Amino acid sequence: MAKRPLVSVVDDDESVRESLPDLLREFGFEARAFSSAEEFLASDCVAETKCLILDVAMPGMSGPDLQRELKLHRQDILIVFITAHRDATVGLHALDEGAVRCLFKPFTETALLKALGAALGVN
Amino acid sequence: MESDLSRVVDALPGLVWTALPDGHIDFLNRRWLEYTGLGMGDANGDGWRSAIHPEDLPEFLEQWRNMITAAEPPAVEARLRRHDGEYRRVLFRACPLVDASGQIVKWCGTGTAIDEQGHPQDPLPAHVRAFRSMADSIPALMALMNSAGEVESVNRHVLEYFGKPFEILKDWDVADTVHPDDLPTVLAAWRRAVQTGQPHESEHRNRRADGTYRWFHIRALPVRDPDGKVLRWYVLQTDIDDLKRAEKELQRSEAFLAEAQRLSSTGSFSWRFDTDEITFSDELYRIFGFEPNTIVTFEQIGTRVHPEDLPLLRDKIHRTRTTADDLDYEIRLRMPDNSVKYIQTLAHRSQDRNGRLEYIGAVQDVTPRRLSENALSKTRSELEHVSRVTSLGAFTASIAHEVSQPLAGIITNASTCLRMLAAEPPNVDGARETARRTIRDGNRASDVITRLRALFVKKDVTTELVNLNEVTREVIALSLNELQRSRVVLRSELADELPQVVGDRVQLQQVILNLFLNALEAMAGVEDRTRQLVITTKPGEDDHVHLIVQDTGVGFDPHGADRLFDAFYTTKSGGMGIGLSVSRSIVERHQGRLWVVPNNGPGATFSFSIPRAPKDVKDAHSRGATRTHAAANAPYVQTDP
Repeated sequence: MAKRPLVSVVDDDESVRESLPDLLREFGFEARAFSSAEEFLASDCVAETKCLILDVAMPGMSGPDLQRELKLHRQDILIVFITAHRDATVGLHALDEGAVRCLFKPFTETALLKALGAALGVN
Repeated sequence: MESDLSRVVDALPGLVWTALPDGHIDFLNRRWLEYTGLGMGDANGDGWRSAIHPEDLPEFLEQWRNMITAAEPPAVEARLRRHDGEYRRVLFRACPLVDASGQIVKWCGTGTAIDEQGHPQDPLPAHVRAFRSMADSIPALMALMNSAGEVESVNRHVLEYFGKPFEILKDWDVADTVHPDDLPTVLAAWRRAVQTGQPHESEHRNRRADGTYRWFHIRALPVRDPDGKVLRWYVLQTDIDDLKRAEKELQRSEAFLAEAQRLSSTGSFSWRFDTDEITFSDELYRIFGFEPNTIVTFEQIGTRVHPEDLPLLRDKIHRTRTTADDLDYEIRLRMPDNSVKYIQTLAHRSQDRNGRLEYIGAVQDVTPRRLSENALSKTRSELEHVSRVTSLGAFTASIAHEVSQPLAGIITNASTCLRMLAAEPPNVDGARETARRTIRDGNRASDVITRLRALFVKKDVTTELVNLNEVTREVIALSLNELQRSRVVLRSELADELPQVVGDRVQLQQVILNLFLNALEAMAGVEDRTRQLVITTKPGEDDHVHLIVQDTGVGFDPHGADRLFDAFYTTKSGGMGIGLSVSRSIVERHQGRLWVVPNNGPGATFSFSIPRAPKDVKDAHSRGATRTHAAANAPYVQTDP
């Protein structure tokens, strides 16, 4: 059996960190959660991560900051942004920078699956 | 005594003498000696005879003898030589002085100058004598002039004032008495008066004995004979220097005042209560655009006052008649060219010397200031609106963010839960865990809502005994400017002996203020009727204290009454919705109710009622305010239908 692709979740909100990995595992992914961009960068999961579900607004390094940092180090990770701020410009800007999708919280299971599908080319 | 008498005799304006019973002269008065130029030694005895014209002497002596022996004739006439050698006709008379036994002891006689017809030739004519006796008792400079305009006589005060003898003063045109600058005009005017016979009146400066010039008022009146011919002139000169100086001072200070009034665009007025007599200063005429010095009436003022402000003015006038309040109000004038002036009136009541009541006040044209204030206020309110909208936007964004976070967790957990239960075999433990998290996130969302609600109303309520009348008066004081600017007539009907309530004074103030502002806003566009705000307090039958704010504004749709209190509902750009919602929350925290009903006429009536303080709370007040934590969820009270 092939190794499951790793999807990492970076969000300062605890309920997202608790709930989302479980759902991702139900989808059939490997899942890890980090409370900040810094924690993710310091972990050994960066290289392994196929897809990053990334909160936009966080204390310290923001989602887009992390996106730029990864680009700089040529870490080619596909990113799905999630945000509670319904400000379209944030999402559009993130997409310009190469993000796959931007989901507005609360998002549905279907929307998440679609985004992951687009990112990883799976159903 | 003897010497006193002889001084009098010496001073008499006639020739006086006494003779012994045999006709031997033993006394001649000084005037006699001066007239004839003879010394007493020469004239004594028979020496006086040398002064009688030689041609007249024989007859004179004979008659003289007859007179002193037979007392007949009563008078003897002869030419008497004056000191300059000229002979003048003189009438001598004599009377015997008789002792107790009837014996003649002395003859007393007088000599009087007479003319060719035998009439006494008095050196002073009758009118001159009349003038003298009258003029000396008048405290003014008086002169008697003949028909040719020459000085005939002057009174004592003239001599004293100028300090010069009559002989010099009578040529006054060269006597250095009139100020050189005034003299040409005075002379010309006097000549004209003499020519035309018209009364003459003028002012000029006279040089006093000490060299100082003083202003005099001169009046010259002609005296005419029955044919209208001018006989002589009476000239009265009154010292008006002090008056003139005071007048000058007055003119100066009046000029200062007028200048100050002009510079500050401030006029002054007085208004007599009993007669409604109104006086305006020049500047006030200018401000009102009235013709200067016309009579000012309330009717006339009414035509100038902006029609929308007439009710306010009438209210003020009515109030000043019934109370003794000082006046302080602002109204607008509509000028004939349709321009608008803003004028500020300040006045206080006083009594004049006769105890009559009058208002004395100042009116300032504050148009430029008001216009710039209006512009500023407009800018400010626009800014406030923008910031309110902005903060509302930020507020909703924040609400969205706070609620979206737990919602995201809820939906994700629920999805996971369903998937775990649908798995083969079902992951019951995982599902239970996710379901638990769903509940927790749901509570979290609920907490967010509670926190938001807490933002609207302070959680801590200061509890103290509050008199709603006092609170209302404070709010009125705070709002006076706003009321005046909004041209709203305020009537307050505060109940006497209003029971106190328990609550937070500041919060209740906010509620009343909010109702005020709400009313002002509702009346802002009203032009066809008086903008009137009536605030009433009264004890209710239900052990509640009621406060009622009634306006004559645009009113509201009765079906939307409830929505008025919704937090985000508003019918106005000002967004009063939140204010009413907060007000209702505050009132409900005080166990009270806030409701609104439409008026029968235009406008709306907002009321709230709060339970009166229980008797045992009275002590709490004396111990000072206590703080209590009010219930987070105040019970919702239905709006009155």
